[in-house]
Amino acid sequence: MTTRLFYDLVALVIFALVIVLGVPALMGFDGFELNTFARYLALGIASLALALSWGGAGLLNLGQAATFGMGSYAMAMHLKLKASGDGLPDFMGWNNVPELPLIWVPFHSLGFTLLAGLLVPAFVGGLIAMFMFRARIAGVFVAIITLAFLVAFQLVVIEEQGITGGQNGLTGLAPLNVLGWSVDTYGVGFYYLVAGCLVTAITIGLYLTHSKFGLILRAIREDADRTRFLGYNVANYQTVIFCISAALAGWAGMLYTLVLEFASPTYMSVSFSLAIVIWCAVGGRDSVLAAAIGAILVNLLEGRLSDIFVEGWNLMLGVIFVFVVMFMPRGLNGLVGDAWRFIGGRLQKERTISTRPHLQPEPVKSGQEN
Amino acid sequence: MSQLQVNDLHVDFGGLRAVDGLSFSVAEGEILCLLGPNGAGKSTTLDLICGKTQPTGGSIRFEGTEISQLLEFRRARLGIGRKFQVPSVYKELTVAENLSVARSRRPGILHALTRFALSDGHAAAPILERIGLEAKANELAGNLSHGETQWLEIAMLIAQDSRLILMDEPTAGMTIEETGRTAEIFRSLSESHTLIVVEHDMSFVRTVADRIVVMNRGSMLAEGTIEEIETNEDVKTAYLGH
Repeated sequence: MTTRLFYDLVALVIFALVIVLGVPALMGFDGFELNTFARYLALGIASLALALSWGGAGLLNLGQAATFGMGSYAMAMHLKLKASGDGLPDFMGWNNVPELPLIWVPFHSLGFTLLAGLLVPAFVGGLIAMFMFRARIAGVFVAIITLAFLVAFQLVVIEEQGITGGQNGLTGLAPLNVLGWSVDTYGVGFYYLVAGCLVTAITIGLYLTHSKFGLILRAIREDADRTRFLGYNVANYQTVIFCISAALAGWAGMLYTLVLEFASPTYMSVSFSLAIVIWCAVGGRDSVLAAAIGAILVNLLEGRLSDIFVEGWNLMLGVIFVFVVMFMPRGLNGLVGDAWRFIGGRLQKERTISTRPHLQPEPVKSGQEN
Repeated sequence: MSQLQVNDLHVDFGGLRAVDGLSFSVAEGEILCLLGPNGAGKSTTLDLICGKTQPTGGSIRFEGTEISQLLEFRRARLGIGRKFQVPSVYKELTVAENLSVARSRRPGILHALTRFALSDGHAAAPILERIGLEAKANELAGNLSHGETQWLEIAMLIAQDSRLILMDEPTAGMTIEETGRTAEIFRSLSESHTLIVVEHDMSFVRTVADRIVVMNRGSMLAEGTIEEIETNEDVKTAYLGH
């Protein structure tokens, strides 16, 4: 086991203990407070998904919110169908839709919904990735294409009111029912469900970054051509990490719908997508754990400050982002890493001096002789 | 039988014929040196063989397979490795990680997904020892000196274990001593690998070359052993211009 893997695992265990034991204890196991925190944890998954493609492979996906939205709408439609019983969802009636559109029929089943929430984003992400990366599109053009896709996708969702609920989104949802457990989103159990999902997602992310797959992606990030001449199919590697990242974003979207109990096209807005980038940058895009922590911290800050500075909050967020980009390009993760090495270096210095006293000069004696 | 056969190869760069009707072949285990004045098309020839540049005409056959239309990674998988003129190691990866990436016998995603990044460390150890970088295995490649970077790149070629290795000026910027050590490594490499080397250092060429191809203006000017080339009148004219 490498030392880096060891540090990452220690950090993961500490993080898991904090969110599983520390946070609930701090909030007195209060369901309402924990619901707010569960929202931050769900967004942490979206942020770490971006860290996998952006930090791990150098592919800045500005369309992360689109795949997030797909997951969120999949879950919302399942709950909407449950709430509507045998009838049509109410908004379809208002839009003169005579019967349930075919694409929503399978969402009566929870199993299908969960699969679709992961696989539909992965499929769409994979399709875009295949076209981009086969054509060897890289750098800022990846950001532009994914951003354009996001804008177009949000437009379609808003326009197709009869199928998606349009600008209003999907509201009036039934509670989730898993194998007889009716999930109370203001209960401690729900908080542990989301926390468990986040820890699992981070573990998956850590595995990917420490696998040879993650190593090849870092090689591609630095020099794609060189990696091609070593026999790696660069486009396939990039496509696969894009799919995985999209699936994780879909997962985050499903949880987000559960927390907020509605789905809205604002989840697929450009500003939301850019916010994910900011969380990821603040935490540190090189590490999935740091990216998740970045999302939690920024949202925690937003939760406290946006109440006081309603208008000014976005400005503050922008300033934070500019500050991070200029002064700590590797985010909080880089800051902690530098501090760690600094302390480690000093400790080592002290140890070598104290264990080898014969190397220390003896100025007193020689001074007296002169 | 020859391992690589280049036949009537052409490439056009917007009117400039960088390679013009070039034909040669290389036998397995041979070290072939490509010589020629600046702009003769030596590096372009290597680019055409490894797939960096697409030819406008002609054929390249490697071990009986026509490769001139294949993508780079497919050619690499067939067993063609390339070292570029500019040292191109991964500066943000450690020395050991560089070697792990270079060890690409199984380049598939599933294989990569089921292995840890440095799971084949035991295989890298003898290579690191051979080039004298074993103490720096966990150092970032970006922190190495120029000479060490060159060694790392040669180590990556050994780790990649291609049957045909294309080298563009491998001794550029090396001291005389380092050049000697490189020549030694090349001779031992040729026991199980074929090498095509573009090089200007004539003393190096004398030590390593089995055969020499001299190029001028994109086509072959002369071919033969070092003695034959050094006495060839056409070569003297091309180099000295009279």
